[in-house]
Amino acid sequence: MKRRSLVTWLLTRIGWYILTLWSAVTVAFITFRLVPGNPIGAYVTQLMQQGKYEINPVEAEKLINEYKKTFGLEGDLLTQYICYFKEVIFHHNLGVSFISFPTPVQVLIIRALPWTIALLSETTVFSWLLGNIIGIIVGWKRGTKVDSVVTSLALVFSQIPYYIVAVVLILLFVYITGTLPPRGAYSSTLYPEFSLTFFLDVAYHAVLPSLSLILVGLCGWLISMRSLAVSILGEDYLLFAQAKGLKEHRILSRYLFRNALLPQITGLAIALGSIVNGAYLVEYVFNYPGMGYLFVTALGRLDYNTIQGCVMLTIFTVLTAILLIDITYPLLDPRIRYGGE
Amino acid sequence: MEKVKLLEVKNLKVYYNSIWGDYKSVDDVSFIAYEGEVLSIAGESGCGKSTLVDGILGLIKPPGYIPSGEVIFEGKDLLKLSSEELRKIRWTKIAYVPQGAMNSLNPVIKIEEQMIDSILDHTNISREEARKLAISRLKEVGLPVEVAEMYPHELSGGMKQRVIIATAIALKPKLVIADEPTTALDVVAQKGILQLLRSLKEDYGITVIVVSHDFAVHAQIADRIAIMYAGKIVEVGPIYDVFKNPLHPYTKGLISSIPVIGKSYIKGIPGLAPSPLNWPSGCRFHPRCPFASEKCRNVEPILKEFNSERYVACHLSR
Amino acid sequence: MNNLARFNLAKQVKLYITKGIQDILRLNSKLKIGMLILLVISALAILEPVINQAILGPISPITPGIFKPLLKPSREHLLGTDLLGRDLLALSLHGLKYSFLIGIVAGFLSSFIGIVIGFISGYKGGIYDSILRTITDFMIIIPTWPILAILATYIKFMRIEGLAMILAIFTWPLSARIIRGQVLSLKERPYVDLAKVTNLSDFEIIFLELMPNILPYIGVGIGNSVIGAVLAETGLEVIGLGPGNIVTLGTLLNWALGFGAVIMGNWNILIAPVLFLISIFLSFNLVNVGLDEIYNPRLKKVTGE
Repeated sequence: MKRRSLVTWLLTRIGWYILTLWSAVTVAFITFRLVPGNPIGAYVTQLMQQGKYEINPVEAEKLINEYKKTFGLEGDLLTQYICYFKEVIFHHNLGVSFISFPTPVQVLIIRALPWTIALLSETTVFSWLLGNIIGIIVGWKRGTKVDSVVTSLALVFSQIPYYIVAVVLILLFVYITGTLPPRGAYSSTLYPEFSLTFFLDVAYHAVLPSLSLILVGLCGWLISMRSLAVSILGEDYLLFAQAKGLKEHRILSRYLFRNALLPQITGLAIALGSIVNGAYLVEYVFNYPGMGYLFVTALGRLDYNTIQGCVMLTIFTVLTAILLIDITYPLLDPRIRYGGE
Repeated sequence: MEKVKLLEVKNLKVYYNSIWGDYKSVDDVSFIAYEGEVLSIAGESGCGKSTLVDGILGLIKPPGYIPSGEVIFEGKDLLKLSSEELRKIRWTKIAYVPQGAMNSLNPVIKIEEQMIDSILDHTNISREEARKLAISRLKEVGLPVEVAEMYPHELSGGMKQRVIIATAIALKPKLVIADEPTTALDVVAQKGILQLLRSLKEDYGITVIVVSHDFAVHAQIADRIAIMYAGKIVEVGPIYDVFKNPLHPYTKGLISSIPVIGKSYIKGIPGLAPSPLNWPSGCRFHPRCPFASEKCRNVEPILKEFNSERYVACHLSR
Repeated sequence: MNNLARFNLAKQVKLYITKGIQDILRLNSKLKIGMLILLVISALAILEPVINQAILGPISPITPGIFKPLLKPSREHLLGTDLLGRDLLALSLHGLKYSFLIGIVAGFLSSFIGIVIGFISGYKGGIYDSILRTITDFMIIIPTWPILAILATYIKFMRIEGLAMILAIFTWPLSARIIRGQVLSLKERPYVDLAKVTNLSDFEIIFLELMPNILPYIGVGIGNSVIGAVLAETGLEVIGLGPGNIVTLGTLLNWALGFGAVIMGNWNILIAPVLFLISIFLSFNLVNVGLDEIYNPRLKKVTGE
């Protein structure tokens, strides 16, 4: 009985995932195509202007059609849709980049993706874990001086956009003290390889971007955990735990933390989208060669296919991460694992 | 038989601070609980019973505070102990069966874990022995052993209540305080719980204080009863005597409002319960008392001994 | 509305007012500080034309080449000038005005949509709820900012109302969620059942019974929407997207980044936009948290039994 409901739940959840994924990428696709203006035309005009050619309409027409074929922009919306997704799903072909022609988009993305995933993973894990732990402690000690100070600080920091913190950090550490590098993932003098020097260099370059994300994220999780802790402290089972005369650390960990963890995991899944958004901007500020930087530069240069590829991949990554988080939830909440009466 | 004092509450006051003033929920309460008895504390909702229990156990949280009073247990004033000393006394000597026991179990850990943690935090016995102890307690309260491996949401209300009681007696305390132990249970489960509480006294010699607004509860298991009204105790005595011969008008009103099979009407107590923010002057019951006199309106009656076993706070009982 | 209801309405309005005043007197410190900062910012934004008139005369602060470029802060130019010779203080105030304006307009629009949807979703329940809730969750979970960015790439010129509209379309789910949650929990409360029994119409139930308890959450919803709108808008401007005819704090940051102001350490170019932005976010956040602390029953301190 119990196992059957769990499997049903799992299947339903995966079904939702596929449905959401499909709708999201379709919406993104349609947004692209519906936007006024002819990107190819604009691009070709740009090219011609760059080369200081006169804009010859006949030649332009021919060129535009050529490009359209190459970039899969022929035919009406439905044809383009089917064509695009056929390429993506079966051939892993996301098209060709305008700007870095003829580099395929997927190559650009594969180069950039690891940096973003690495940055996001370590910063999210750090800020979520640390933020939650500090939040519990502060919530437990609510009303004390420590609580007021920490919470006030956290309140101030939690609402500052990541990129502003990034800017301030750069000012402080690059300009004023010159201790940390302002851009890139690794020094231009080094070549990517599996060596200690390289890893240290990468870590060195990752400090400021990570800090920008962690400082703000930590404060956010701190605050939400604290208010969760405060509400759980009002619960009957917490009162009972105290009446039982349990030791403080046991109440904190097994009664407070274990119960507050569950909503925070859900909260993580929900916040993932905006964390990614923020991270992209931070990458831009630091010229960190991840998806964010790729996306923003592509936007600036109207690199159609790359923009599209980035958006698709971002949606896919975020939704998959959320699915994974959601799947781990029943492992921790016995009320779902063993559906009761 | 010599009666030994186990718990003595002296002039306890528990107030709640708010922007509109102090809520004087418990306003100068004194009573004694003797070893080996079942003492009932009865009264309407809002009279301060649960706050009294919280006060005794040291579970009052801000904005509640204790302006004065003593709670003497085994020679020590519980209110003056450090939090660590109080923690050690909790559960080993004084246990608590809370109101709304349904929600008193941690939803994410197993029953067995929740029973064991209090044992482990108070003694030096091993985990395995603690587990055996917990299982034997479950049997004593009439629950199957399988319950230990389950999670709270898999149990019914009555079973959860029994688990709480089993946890409470795990370390065989001297005193168990039960706050509304039968509210939210169906009648059959209620009877079972009450029998269980009664057996604590009879089989193990544990002193039980039961707080409830339901007279049926008191009638079934109490030895002595204390009636609370408006933050004060108004009458104390052996249960049979108080039922047969209530001295305080409030007690009289309460008893006559219990539905009796055969009687065709219930007489209630007119008026509404007063607010702790603004207790009436003089005797707090005077606005609702059919016998109120001028003295009752102005002078507060003190709980005085009526005869060797009965106490009452009323000007009219002399 | 019959006479009874009209009488109730009058009584209710009086209740709102008295309760409102009582509540203001009960304000906790966070709320007060937040409102104070908010007041200062609004004052600056509203007085911006006056202040800039005083500094620059009739010239618009975004006109380049008025003063010498890259001047250090001095008595004439309290924050110095930027690369194109614009007075930084005037420029920052100008940016503040527009950031704030767009935030408020988009925020109110967004929260209006969110409140209506959240309300219908929570109150009607059933199929309406299922559909609306799915859409709301969908929009919260999916990173919609890239899609907004795509739209912004192609829109080079837009009026404020249009921009606010688009921002509202992307940020309404934030308040919808909160309102729906609150309506759901209120629906369970006994006074709604009581009102139903006494034959009040749906409309009357909503306004006389539910509204007073939802108002603070509407406040929180508005706060979240404004924050969301300003975040989105600034995020777009910083990377150079968004309508080129509107200059907001985000635009100023973008220009600064473009000059390499950060690397060169021209803190005077950055300080005002950064401080103003932080103040906007901070003030709305404090107001939100303050409102939450006052009205959230779980965080409220319990009195009596």
